[in-house]
Amino acid sequence: MAVHFAKPLSGSGSSLRTLFRPRVCRYLPSVAMFRLQGSKVLAVDMTGDSVKAKNGSMVAYEGQMAFKKMTGGGEGLRGMVTRRLTGEQMTVMEVRGQGTCYFADRASEINLVRLTGDTLHVEAGNLLCTDGGLRTGTTFTGLRGASQGTGLFTTTVEGTGQVAMMSDGPAVVLRVTPQYPLSVDPGAYIAHQGNLRQDLQSGVTFRTFLGEGGGEAFQIRFEGDGLVYVQPSERTTAGGDL
Amino acid sequence: MPFREVNSKMVEAAVSPGQKLFSQRGAMLAYRGDVSFTPNIQGGQGGVMSMIGRRVAGEATPLMTVEGSGTVMFGHGGHHIQVIQLSGDTLCVEADRLLAFDGTLTQGTLFLGAQGGVMGMVRGQVTGQGLFTTTLKGHGAVAVMAHGGVIELPITPGRPVHVDPQAYVAHHGDVRNKLSTALGWRDMVGRGSGEAFQLELSGSGAVYVQASEEKL
Repeated sequence: MAVHFAKPLSGSGSSLRTLFRPRVCRYLPSVAMFRLQGSKVLAVDMTGDSVKAKNGSMVAYEGQMAFKKMTGGGEGLRGMVTRRLTGEQMTVMEVRGQGTCYFADRASEINLVRLTGDTLHVEAGNLLCTDGGLRTGTTFTGLRGASQGTGLFTTTVEGTGQVAMMSDGPAVVLRVTPQYPLSVDPGAYIAHQGNLRQDLQSGVTFRTFLGEGGGEAFQIRFEGDGLVYVQPSERTTAGGDL
Repeated sequence: MPFREVNSKMVEAAVSPGQKLFSQRGAMLAYRGDVSFTPNIQGGQGGVMSMIGRRVAGEATPLMTVEGSGTVMFGHGGHHIQVIQLSGDTLCVEADRLLAFDGTLTQGTLFLGAQGGVMGMVRGQVTGQGLFTTTLKGHGAVAVMAHGGVIELPITPGRPVHVDPQAYVAHHGDVRNKLSTALGWRDMVGRGSGEAFQLELSGSGAVYVQASEEKL
Protein backbone atom coordinates (compact mmCIF):
# COMPACT_ATOMS: atom_id res chain seq x y z
CA MET A 1 0.00 0.00 0.00
CA ALA A 2 1.39 3.32 -0.96
CA VAL A 3 0.41 5.06 2.21
CA HIS A 4 2.83 7.43 3.83
CA PHE A 5 2.26 8.32 7.39
CA ALA A 6 3.85 11.63 7.06
CA LYS A 7 4.14 13.20 10.42
CA PRO A 8 2.08 14.05 13.44
CA LEU A 9 -0.79 16.23 12.38
CA SER A 10 -0.04 19.06 14.69
CA GLY A 11 3.55 19.58 13.74
CA SER A 12 4.54 22.27 11.33
CA GLY A 13 6.00 21.28 8.04
CA SER A 14 6.53 23.68 5.25
CA SER A 15 8.42 21.14 3.19
CA LEU A 16 5.53 18.69 2.94
CA ARG A 17 5.25 18.90 -0.78
CA THR A 18 8.89 18.37 -1.41
CA LEU A 19 8.80 15.55 1.08
CA PHE A 20 6.00 13.74 -0.62
CA ARG A 21 6.27 14.15 -4.30
CA PRO A 22 9.33 12.07 -5.10
CA ARG A 23 8.27 9.16 -2.94
CA VAL A 24 4.80 8.60 -4.32
CA CYS A 25 5.16 5.70 -6.66
CA ARG A 26 2.99 5.89 -9.72
CA TYR A 27 2.44 2.44 -11.08
CA LEU A 28 -1.01 3.32 -12.31
CA PRO A 29 -0.78 6.82 -13.67
CA SER A 30 -4.49 7.23 -14.31
CA VAL A 31 -5.65 6.16 -10.87
CA ALA A 32 -6.13 8.62 -8.04
CA MET A 33 -3.51 8.28 -5.33
CA PHE A 34 -4.79 8.23 -1.76
CA ARG A 35 -2.50 9.12 1.09
CA LEU A 36 -2.94 10.25 4.65
CA GLN A 37 -1.72 13.62 5.80
CA GLY A 38 -1.54 12.98 9.49
CA SER A 39 -4.37 10.73 10.60
CA LYS A 40 -7.35 12.98 9.98
CA VAL A 41 -6.78 14.45 6.55
CA LEU A 42 -6.91 12.46 3.34
CA ALA A 43 -4.93 13.79 0.41
CA VAL A 44 -5.80 12.53 -3.05
CA ASP A 45 -3.49 13.17 -5.98
CA MET A 46 -5.45 13.23 -9.18
CA THR A 47 -4.39 13.43 -12.79
CA GLY A 48 -7.59 14.02 -14.67
CA ASP A 49 -9.47 11.12 -13.07
CA SER A 50 -12.26 11.21 -10.55
CA VAL A 51 -13.11 10.06 -7.04
CA LYS A 52 -16.38 9.87 -5.17
CA ALA A 53 -16.44 11.62 -1.81
CA LYS A 54 -18.90 12.51 0.88
CA ASN A 55 -20.70 15.74 0.09
CA GLY A 56 -18.95 18.79 1.47
CA SER A 57 -15.93 16.95 2.85
CA MET A 58 -13.35 18.87 0.82
CA VAL A 59 -11.21 21.12 3.02
CA ALA A 60 -8.65 22.36 0.51
CA TYR A 61 -7.28 21.73 -2.95
CA GLU A 62 -4.47 22.71 -5.23
CA GLY A 63 -4.81 22.71 -8.98
CA GLN A 64 -8.02 22.47 -10.93
CA MET A 65 -10.97 20.65 -9.42
CA ALA A 66 -14.62 20.33 -10.29
CA PHE A 67 -17.22 19.21 -7.77
CA LYS A 68 -20.47 17.69 -8.87
CA LYS A 69 -23.13 16.15 -6.73
CA MET A 70 -24.05 12.66 -7.79
CA THR A 71 -27.76 12.29 -7.44
CA GLY A 72 -28.72 9.29 -5.39
CA GLY A 73 -25.20 8.10 -4.73
CA GLY A 74 -24.31 7.78 -8.39
CA GLU A 75 -25.84 4.42 -9.05
CA GLY A 76 -28.55 5.42 -11.42
CA LEU A 77 -32.25 5.57 -10.80
CA ARG A 78 -32.53 2.08 -9.43
CA GLY A 79 -29.70 2.68 -6.97
CA MET A 80 -31.28 5.90 -5.86
CA VAL A 81 -34.64 4.31 -5.20
CA THR A 82 -32.97 1.44 -3.36
CA ARG A 83 -31.04 3.85 -1.18
CA ARG A 84 -34.12 5.86 -0.36
CA LEU A 85 -36.02 2.73 0.56
CA THR A 86 -33.25 1.17 2.60
CA GLY A 87 -32.30 4.29 4.47
CA GLU A 88 -28.68 3.92 3.37
CA GLN A 89 -28.75 7.32 1.79
CA MET A 90 -25.51 9.01 1.15
CA THR A 91 -24.88 12.30 -0.49
CA VAL A 92 -21.91 11.83 -2.70
CA MET A 93 -20.06 14.22 -4.93
CA GLU A 94 -17.80 13.46 -7.81
CA VAL A 95 -14.48 15.24 -7.70
CA ARG A 96 -12.63 15.40 -10.95
CA GLY A 97 -9.50 17.29 -11.79
CA GLN A 98 -5.82 17.69 -11.74
CA GLY A 99 -3.83 18.33 -8.59
CA THR A 100 -4.21 17.42 -4.95
CA CYS A 101 -7.48 17.49 -3.08
CA TYR A 102 -7.71 17.29 0.72
CA PHE A 103 -10.68 15.71 2.46
CA ALA A 104 -11.63 15.61 6.14
CA ASP A 105 -14.83 15.36 8.09
CA ARG A 106 -15.45 16.45 11.68
CA ALA A 107 -11.93 15.50 12.73
CA SER A 108 -12.61 11.77 12.48
CA GLU A 109 -9.75 9.38 11.96
CA ILE A 110 -9.31 8.06 8.44
CA ASN A 111 -8.50 4.49 7.47
CA LEU A 112 -7.36 3.49 4.02
CA VAL A 113 -8.37 0.15 2.56
CA ARG A 114 -7.18 -1.22 -0.75
CA LEU A 115 -9.62 -3.48 -2.54
CA THR A 116 -8.47 -5.92 -5.14
CA GLY A 117 -11.64 -7.30 -6.58
CA ASP A 118 -13.22 -8.10 -3.22
CA THR A 119 -16.12 -6.49 -1.41
CA LEU A 120 -16.06 -4.14 1.55
CA HIS A 121 -19.17 -3.79 3.69
CA VAL A 122 -19.30 -0.43 5.40
CA GLU A 123 -21.90 1.85 6.88
CA ALA A 124 -22.81 4.67 4.53
CA GLY A 125 -22.07 7.20 7.26
CA ASN A 126 -18.52 5.95 7.65
CA LEU A 127 -17.60 6.18 3.99
CA LEU A 128 -15.50 9.23 3.16
CA CYS A 129 -14.03 8.70 -0.27
CA THR A 130 -13.76 5.95 -2.88
CA ASP A 131 -11.89 5.54 -6.11
CA GLY A 132 -13.94 6.50 -9.13
CA GLY A 133 -13.76 2.98 -10.49
CA LEU A 134 -15.33 1.29 -7.49
CA ARG A 135 -18.96 0.23 -7.51
CA THR A 136 -21.20 0.86 -4.55
CA GLY A 137 -24.41 -0.91 -3.68
CA THR A 138 -26.64 -1.86 -0.78
CA THR A 139 -27.15 -5.22 0.92
CA PHE A 140 -29.48 -6.53 3.53
CA THR A 141 -27.83 -7.19 6.87
CA GLY A 142 -30.69 -8.69 8.79
CA LEU A 143 -31.10 -8.28 12.48
CA ARG A 144 -27.60 -6.97 12.99
CA GLY A 145 -28.44 -3.65 11.43
CA ALA A 146 -31.37 -3.18 13.73
CA SER A 147 -29.23 -3.79 16.79
CA GLN A 148 -26.56 -1.42 15.50
CA GLY A 149 -28.94 1.40 15.22
CA THR A 150 -27.94 1.89 11.60
CA GLY A 151 -30.86 0.28 9.87
CA LEU A 152 -31.37 -3.05 8.22
CA PHE A 153 -29.10 -2.37 5.30
CA THR A 154 -25.47 -1.61 4.72
CA THR A 155 -23.39 -0.27 1.87
CA THR A 156 -21.06 -2.44 -0.16
CA VAL A 157 -18.08 -1.26 -2.14
CA GLU A 158 -16.54 -3.57 -4.71
CA GLY A 159 -13.94 -3.49 -7.42
CA THR A 160 -10.29 -2.58 -7.49
CA GLY A 161 -9.03 0.60 -5.90
CA GLN A 162 -8.77 2.47 -2.63
CA VAL A 163 -11.41 3.37 -0.09
CA ALA A 164 -11.15 5.85 2.78
CA MET A 165 -13.34 5.13 5.77
CA MET A 166 -13.92 7.29 8.82
CA SER A 167 -13.92 6.12 12.39
CA ASP A 168 -14.35 7.77 15.75
CA GLY A 169 -10.85 7.22 17.08
CA PRO A 170 -8.22 5.10 15.33
CA ALA A 171 -9.72 1.84 14.11
CA VAL A 172 -8.21 -1.57 14.71
CA VAL A 173 -8.24 -4.28 12.08
CA LEU A 174 -9.06 -7.72 13.44
CA ARG A 175 -8.47 -10.85 11.38
CA VAL A 176 -11.05 -13.59 11.45
CA THR A 177 -10.04 -17.14 10.51
CA PRO A 178 -12.16 -20.31 10.54
CA GLN A 179 -10.50 -21.32 13.82
CA TYR A 180 -10.94 -17.95 15.44
CA PRO A 181 -14.36 -16.42 15.08
CA LEU A 182 -14.82 -12.90 16.39
CA SER A 183 -17.58 -11.16 18.32
CA VAL A 184 -17.91 -7.41 17.99
CA ASP A 185 -20.02 -4.82 19.76
CA PRO A 186 -22.51 -3.56 17.17
CA GLY A 187 -21.81 0.03 18.16
CA ALA A 188 -18.09 -0.27 17.55
CA TYR A 189 -18.29 -2.12 14.23
CA ILE A 190 -17.49 -0.02 11.19
CA ALA A 191 -16.70 -2.32 8.28
CA HIS A 192 -15.66 -5.78 7.18
CA GLN A 193 -14.26 -7.40 4.09
CA GLY A 194 -13.63 -10.93 2.94
CA ASN A 195 -15.65 -14.10 3.07
CA LEU A 196 -17.44 -13.66 6.37
CA ARG A 197 -20.67 -14.94 7.78
CA GLN A 198 -22.26 -12.82 10.44
CA ASP A 199 -24.96 -13.45 12.92
CA LEU A 200 -26.34 -11.68 15.91
CA GLN A 201 -25.58 -13.07 19.31
CA SER A 202 -27.64 -12.07 22.23
CA GLY A 203 -26.63 -12.26 25.83
CA VAL A 204 -30.04 -11.28 27.10
CA THR A 205 -30.88 -13.10 30.32
CA PHE A 206 -33.46 -12.61 32.99
CA ARG A 207 -31.02 -10.20 34.62
CA THR A 208 -31.33 -7.87 31.65
CA PHE A 209 -35.03 -7.61 32.26
CA LEU A 210 -34.37 -6.74 35.87
CA GLY A 211 -32.21 -3.86 34.71
CA GLU A 212 -29.02 -5.57 35.79
CA GLY A 213 -27.59 -6.21 32.33
CA GLY A 214 -23.91 -5.77 31.67
CA GLY A 215 -24.47 -3.32 28.84
CA GLU A 216 -23.37 -5.90 26.30
CA ALA A 217 -26.65 -7.51 25.38
CA PHE A 218 -25.88 -7.97 21.70
CA GLN A 219 -22.81 -8.86 19.71
CA ILE A 220 -22.20 -9.55 16.07
CA ARG A 221 -20.36 -12.81 15.55
CA PHE A 222 -18.17 -13.14 12.48
CA GLU A 223 -17.15 -16.53 11.17
CA GLY A 224 -15.11 -17.41 8.12
CA ASP A 225 -12.09 -15.70 6.68
CA GLY A 226 -11.65 -11.94 6.49
CA LEU A 227 -11.01 -8.65 8.22
CA VAL A 228 -13.20 -6.65 10.58
CA TYR A 229 -12.64 -2.95 11.35
CA VAL A 230 -13.55 -1.84 14.84
CA GLN A 231 -13.48 1.70 16.25
CA PRO A 232 -12.56 2.53 19.86
CA SER A 233 -15.89 4.18 20.46
CA GLU A 234 -19.49 3.05 20.53
CA ARG A 235 -22.45 4.49 18.73
CA THR A 236 -25.65 4.58 20.70
CA THR A 237 -27.40 1.36 19.82
CA ALA A 238 -30.62 -0.29 20.80
CA GLY A 239 -28.69 -2.98 22.62
CA GLY A 240 -26.29 -0.59 24.29
CA ASP A 241 -28.55 0.27 27.18
CA LEU A 242 -29.46 -3.28 28.04
CA MET B 1 9.94 33.24 23.45
CA PRO B 2 8.97 30.07 21.74
CA PHE B 3 6.11 27.81 22.62
CA ARG B 4 6.89 24.19 23.23
CA GLU B 5 4.24 21.67 22.28
CA VAL B 6 3.63 19.34 25.24
CA ASN B 7 1.17 17.31 23.22
CA SER B 8 -1.18 18.16 20.43
CA LYS B 9 -3.57 19.97 22.76
CA MET B 10 -1.22 21.74 25.18
CA VAL B 11 1.60 24.20 24.79
CA GLU B 12 4.16 25.36 27.29
CA ALA B 13 5.66 28.83 27.23
CA ALA B 14 8.56 30.17 29.21
CA VAL B 15 8.22 33.68 30.58
CA SER B 16 11.07 35.71 31.92
CA PRO B 17 11.11 39.22 33.42
CA GLY B 18 10.70 41.94 30.87
CA GLN B 19 8.95 39.69 28.41
CA LYS B 20 5.24 39.78 28.06
CA LEU B 21 2.86 37.21 26.74
CA PHE B 22 -0.78 37.60 25.82
CA SER B 23 -3.18 34.71 26.13
CA GLN B 24 -6.87 34.10 25.96
CA ARG B 25 -8.41 34.64 29.35
CA GLY B 26 -8.86 31.38 31.23
CA ALA B 27 -6.62 29.37 28.94
CA MET B 28 -3.93 28.81 31.55
CA LEU B 29 -3.81 25.20 32.70
CA ALA B 30 -0.82 25.17 35.01
CA TYR B 31 2.24 27.21 35.78
CA ARG B 32 5.58 26.92 37.49
CA GLY B 33 7.45 29.76 39.10
CA ASP B 34 6.35 33.27 39.90
CA VAL B 35 3.91 34.27 37.19
CA SER B 36 1.15 36.83 37.34
CA PHE B 37 -1.94 36.99 35.19
CA THR B 38 -3.60 40.32 34.75
CA PRO B 39 -6.77 40.74 32.75
CA ASN B 40 -6.21 43.00 29.83
CA ILE B 41 -9.21 45.24 29.40
CA GLN B 42 -7.86 46.66 26.21
CA GLY B 43 -7.86 43.19 24.69
CA GLY B 44 -4.28 43.41 23.52
CA GLN B 45 -1.87 46.09 22.57
CA GLY B 46 -1.94 49.53 21.19
CA GLY B 47 -3.73 51.67 23.72
CA VAL B 48 -7.29 52.85 23.98
CA MET B 49 -7.80 53.62 20.32
CA SER B 50 -6.95 50.09 19.30
CA MET B 51 -9.27 48.83 21.97
CA ILE B 52 -12.14 50.85 20.56
CA GLY B 53 -11.19 49.62 17.11
CA ARG B 54 -11.38 46.03 18.24
CA ARG B 55 -14.67 46.53 20.05
CA VAL B 56 -16.20 48.07 16.97
CA ALA B 57 -14.81 45.35 14.77
CA GLY B 58 -16.10 42.59 17.02
CA GLU B 59 -12.60 41.21 17.21
CA ALA B 60 -12.24 41.83 20.93
CA THR B 61 -11.59 38.63 22.84
CA PRO B 62 -10.87 38.69 26.52
CA LEU B 63 -7.12 38.54 26.80
CA MET B 64 -4.80 38.49 29.76
CA THR B 65 -1.22 39.54 30.15
CA VAL B 66 1.18 36.95 31.47
CA GLU B 67 4.29 38.28 33.18
CA GLY B 68 6.89 37.06 35.62
CA SER B 69 9.41 34.26 35.50
CA GLY B 70 8.55 30.62 35.04
CA THR B 71 6.73 28.38 32.63
CA VAL B 72 3.04 28.41 31.82
CA MET B 73 0.96 25.75 30.13
CA PHE B 74 -1.95 26.70 27.93
CA GLY B 75 -4.83 24.75 26.46
CA HIS B 76 -8.48 25.38 25.80
CA GLY B 77 -11.54 23.28 25.19
CA GLY B 78 -9.59 20.24 24.07
CA HIS B 79 -8.84 21.92 20.77
CA HIS B 80 -5.76 21.12 18.79
CA ILE B 81 -3.06 23.73 18.97
CA GLN B 82 -0.79 24.79 16.19
CA VAL B 83 2.26 26.88 16.90
CA ILE B 84 3.14 29.27 14.10
CA GLN B 85 6.50 31.03 13.97
CA LEU B 86 6.45 34.47 12.46
CA SER B 87 9.58 36.05 11.12
CA GLY B 88 8.58 39.49 10.06
CA ASP B 89 5.47 38.54 8.13
CA THR B 90 1.82 39.01 8.97
CA LEU B 91 -0.54 36.34 10.23
CA CYS B 92 -4.26 36.71 9.66
CA VAL B 93 -6.38 34.80 12.14
CA GLU B 94 -9.78 35.04 13.77
CA ALA B 95 -9.51 36.53 17.26
CA ASP B 96 -11.34 33.65 18.94
CA ARG B 97 -8.84 31.15 17.55
CA LEU B 98 -5.92 32.91 19.26
CA LEU B 99 -4.74 30.99 22.29
CA ALA B 100 -1.55 32.83 23.15
CA PHE B 101 1.01 34.97 21.43
CA ASP B 102 4.27 36.70 22.03
CA GLY B 103 4.13 40.20 23.48
CA THR B 104 6.56 41.40 20.86
CA LEU B 105 4.07 40.90 18.05
CA THR B 106 2.06 43.85 16.86
CA GLN B 107 -1.62 43.28 16.89
CA GLY B 108 -4.06 44.90 14.54
CA THR B 109 -7.41 44.50 12.91
CA LEU B 110 -7.92 44.20 9.22
CA PHE B 111 -11.06 45.29 7.44
CA LEU B 112 -11.87 42.61 4.91
CA GLY B 113 -13.41 45.20 2.66
CA ALA B 114 -9.91 46.57 2.25
CA GLN B 115 -9.00 43.37 0.45
CA GLY B 116 -11.17 43.23 -2.58
CA GLY B 117 -13.83 45.79 -1.73
CA VAL B 118 -17.37 44.54 -1.64
CA MET B 119 -16.31 41.00 -2.51
CA GLY B 120 -14.07 41.04 0.55
CA MET B 121 -17.04 41.90 2.71
CA VAL B 122 -19.14 39.20 1.10
CA ARG B 123 -16.30 36.78 1.71
CA GLY B 124 -16.22 37.68 5.40
CA GLN B 125 -19.92 37.01 5.71
CA VAL B 126 -19.82 33.73 3.84
CA THR B 127 -16.85 32.39 5.72
CA GLY B 128 -18.23 33.46 9.06
CA GLN B 129 -15.20 35.64 9.64
CA GLY B 130 -17.29 38.73 9.86
CA LEU B 131 -16.09 41.95 8.40
CA PHE B 132 -12.87 42.09 10.33
CA THR B 133 -10.02 39.80 11.16
CA THR B 134 -7.08 40.05 13.50
CA THR B 135 -3.54 40.45 12.24
CA LEU B 136 -0.31 39.77 14.07
CA LYS B 137 2.95 41.08 12.77
CA GLY B 138 6.56 40.84 13.78
CA HIS B 139 8.98 38.24 15.06
CA GLY B 140 7.66 35.67 17.49
CA ALA B 141 5.38 32.72 17.97
CA VAL B 142 1.61 32.38 17.99
CA ALA B 143 -0.44 29.46 19.31
CA VAL B 144 -3.63 29.02 17.32
CA MET B 145 -6.53 26.68 18.11
CA ALA B 146 -8.34 24.47 15.63
CA HIS B 147 -10.91 21.71 15.75
CA GLY B 148 -9.14 18.51 14.82
CA GLY B 149 -5.59 18.58 13.56
CA VAL B 150 -4.08 21.19 11.31
CA ILE B 151 -2.20 20.81 8.08
CA GLU B 152 -0.06 23.50 6.60
CA LEU B 153 -0.27 24.02 2.88
CA PRO B 154 2.39 26.17 1.27
CA ILE B 155 1.26 28.74 -1.26
CA THR B 156 3.66 29.57 -4.05
CA PRO B 157 3.18 31.99 -6.91
CA GLY B 158 1.34 30.32 -9.76
CA ARG B 159 0.00 27.56 -7.52
CA PRO B 160 -3.02 28.92 -5.70
CA VAL B 161 -4.62 26.86 -2.96
CA HIS B 162 -8.38 26.60 -2.60
CA VAL B 163 -9.73 26.12 0.90
CA ASP B 164 -13.18 25.36 2.25
CA PRO B 165 -14.11 28.51 4.21
CA GLN B 166 -15.26 26.43 7.17
CA ALA B 167 -11.96 24.56 7.38
CA TYR B 168 -9.80 27.68 7.02
CA VAL B 169 -7.84 28.52 10.17
CA ALA B 170 -5.21 31.15 9.40
CA HIS B 171 -2.72 32.26 6.81
CA HIS B 172 0.53 34.12 6.78
CA GLY B 173 2.82 35.66 4.27
CA ASP B 174 2.10 37.81 1.28
CA VAL B 175 -1.19 36.20 0.38
CA ARG B 176 -4.17 37.60 -1.45
CA ASN B 177 -7.40 35.82 -0.88
CA LYS B 178 -10.62 36.00 -2.71
CA LEU B 179 -13.85 34.13 -2.64
CA SER B 180 -14.31 31.94 -5.63
CA THR B 181 -17.75 30.65 -6.32
CA ALA B 182 -18.58 27.55 -8.21
CA LEU B 183 -22.30 28.16 -8.14
CA GLY B 184 -24.16 26.37 -10.82
CA TRP B 185 -27.75 25.58 -11.63
CA ARG B 186 -27.35 22.49 -9.44
CA ASP B 187 -26.92 24.62 -6.34
CA MET B 188 -30.03 26.59 -7.22
CA VAL B 189 -32.18 23.48 -7.28
CA GLY B 190 -30.71 22.16 -4.07
CA ARG B 191 -28.47 19.58 -5.67
CA GLY B 192 -25.18 21.25 -4.89
CA SER B 193 -22.05 19.37 -3.99
CA GLY B 194 -21.64 21.39 -0.80
CA GLU B 195 -18.54 23.04 -2.19
CA ALA B 196 -20.08 26.12 -3.72
CA PHE B 197 -17.80 28.63 -2.02
CA GLN B 198 -14.08 28.38 -1.77
CA LEU B 199 -11.38 30.70 -0.60
CA GLU B 200 -8.74 31.08 -3.25
CA LEU B 201 -5.39 32.00 -1.76
CA SER B 202 -2.59 33.09 -4.05
CA GLY B 203 0.78 34.70 -3.57
CA SER B 204 3.49 33.31 -1.37
CA GLY B 205 3.09 32.08 2.16
CA ALA B 206 1.18 29.32 3.87
CA VAL B 207 -2.37 28.52 4.84
CA TYR B 208 -3.45 26.41 7.81
CA VAL B 209 -6.40 24.09 7.30
CA GLN B 210 -8.17 22.10 10.00
CA ALA B 211 -9.39 18.53 9.60
CA SER B 212 -12.94 19.48 10.28
CA GLU B 213 -15.62 21.80 9.05
CA GLU B 214 -16.75 22.85 12.48
CA LYS B 215 -16.19 26.26 13.92
CA LEU B 216 -14.67 26.59 17.35
